[in-house]
Amino acid sequence: MTPMDWTRTPDLLKDRVAIVTGAGGGIGRGLAEALALSGAHVVIAARRAATGEETAALIHAAGGSALAVETDVADPAAVQQLVDATVGQFGGLDIVVHNASSGLSGKAFKLAEINAADYAEQAGVALGAAFLLARSSFPHLRDTGRGRFIVLNSSQGLHGGAMNPVYTATKSAQRGFVKALAREWGPYDIVVNAVAPAALTDAAKVYLESDPARSAAAMKSFPLGRMGDMCDDIGAAVVALSSDYWRYVTGLTVPVDGGYYTAL
Amino acid sequence: MRADLRVWLIGAGSLGADVLQPLADGLTELGADIALEIALKVAERPSVDRLAAELPAPDLAVLCLVPDAALARQPLAEQSFETWKEAAQDGLFETIRLFQALEPHLVDRGGAVVMIGPSLSLVGCPELVALTTLLEGQRGLVKSLARQWGARNTTVNWIAAAPRALSAAFADAPLAAKPDAVSVALGGPLDLQRDIAPVLAFLATPAGRKLTGQTLTLDGGEWMTP
Repeated sequence: MTPMDWTRTPDLLKDRVAIVTGAGGGIGRGLAEALALSGAHVVIAARRAATGEETAALIHAAGGSALAVETDVADPAAVQQLVDATVGQFGGLDIVVHNASSGLSGKAFKLAEINAADYAEQAGVALGAAFLLARSSFPHLRDTGRGRFIVLNSSQGLHGGAMNPVYTATKSAQRGFVKALAREWGPYDIVVNAVAPAALTDAAKVYLESDPARSAAAMKSFPLGRMGDMCDDIGAAVVALSSDYWRYVTGLTVPVDGGYYTAL
Repeated sequence: MRADLRVWLIGAGSLGADVLQPLADGLTELGADIALEIALKVAERPSVDRLAAELPAPDLAVLCLVPDAALARQPLAEQSFETWKEAAQDGLFETIRLFQALEPHLVDRGGAVVMIGPSLSLVGCPELVALTTLLEGQRGLVKSLARQWGARNTTVNWIAAAPRALSAAFADAPLAAKPDAVSVALGGPLDLQRDIAPVLAFLATPAGRKLTGQTLTLDGGEWMTP
């Protein structure tokens, strides 16, 4: 695989301002780095200040622009504060990437095991935060004339998954959110999409490296033969969706998964 | 249709009432034994125990559960968080609760579950963001449970029906429209009692139970999804 050459498009998102939630690590960090490598000012929303600062430091070390804001995305006041801090620091907001996900997302549940607290935790981050981010960011995304609202989704939101019905349901619900909001915000030139990634996260690496035979079998599901790098593959797709090149694409869930899901 | 079909119709909210009563009438015309339970509000929770007492051992359960708050048209930016939660998040949780209540009565017995909702969620509807979110969440839940319950001899499917065939609530909704819909060729607008009830009955037959986790779009051919 040829490494992504970020030096070819350093100004693709020049002077644009992006918020990435759940950017204290994992996919969110990869997305934030990709947006910064493309010239955007990136606001790192992370539940723990230390992880957000780590991501910001990585971006600064690479010559990029970043601000870390400690944020509980399920808290209406915290989300409003995040948006206010972003606009206060950078003078506007062009791109919102809602990537944050509950820690329960990867946990297996039989239907009968789901309780109100576990549901509220997952739905609060997947759906409540999506609503709050959209509501708080709307005036700024409208005013910029090139607004982007992107939700990190999952293949389970497309084909359904048995493992965690709440995860599947909330990821599917996010797809509905994106479709409806794309129609509602189209008149304001705000583009709304979802990305369903197959990312090689740290957790995925551990899982795959624990059993090479299982890993080899799993890779056969991907025509490209690998899971995606969080910055160079998944981040690059989010950069593309954020750029002018994809400004006429809205309301979609885009699988960014090496060809894993092709049933659309 | 099998002669001894036993059907539960369970729902909540005004949309549940609009949808399930005509379906009950249509299934009764087809010879099914029917038990109907509609809670006025989603939070009141339809009583599965009452259905079990009235008509035990159902073959088919038909569900339609939408909070009235989800039917109120409003731009997202003007919506309160409380309304959003009631419409989208609480609505989805109550759907999960309903499936949990159904599980002991249906699963492992070779039953079929069908949820029905307006097809507007397939394409999205402005001013009804919470409703679209809820419906797609319910549709995803159907897929997840089809996978969980498939090995236990139970099917779960979703019917996406033309919104205006379901309820007058959608009469003036800003629905996306496909100019070359073919409903005329299909004999006019879809009717719940006449057209959709037989599809439900089919899904409880041995042939129909080969379908699970599917979205059956009964919208007169308007949106032909990939």
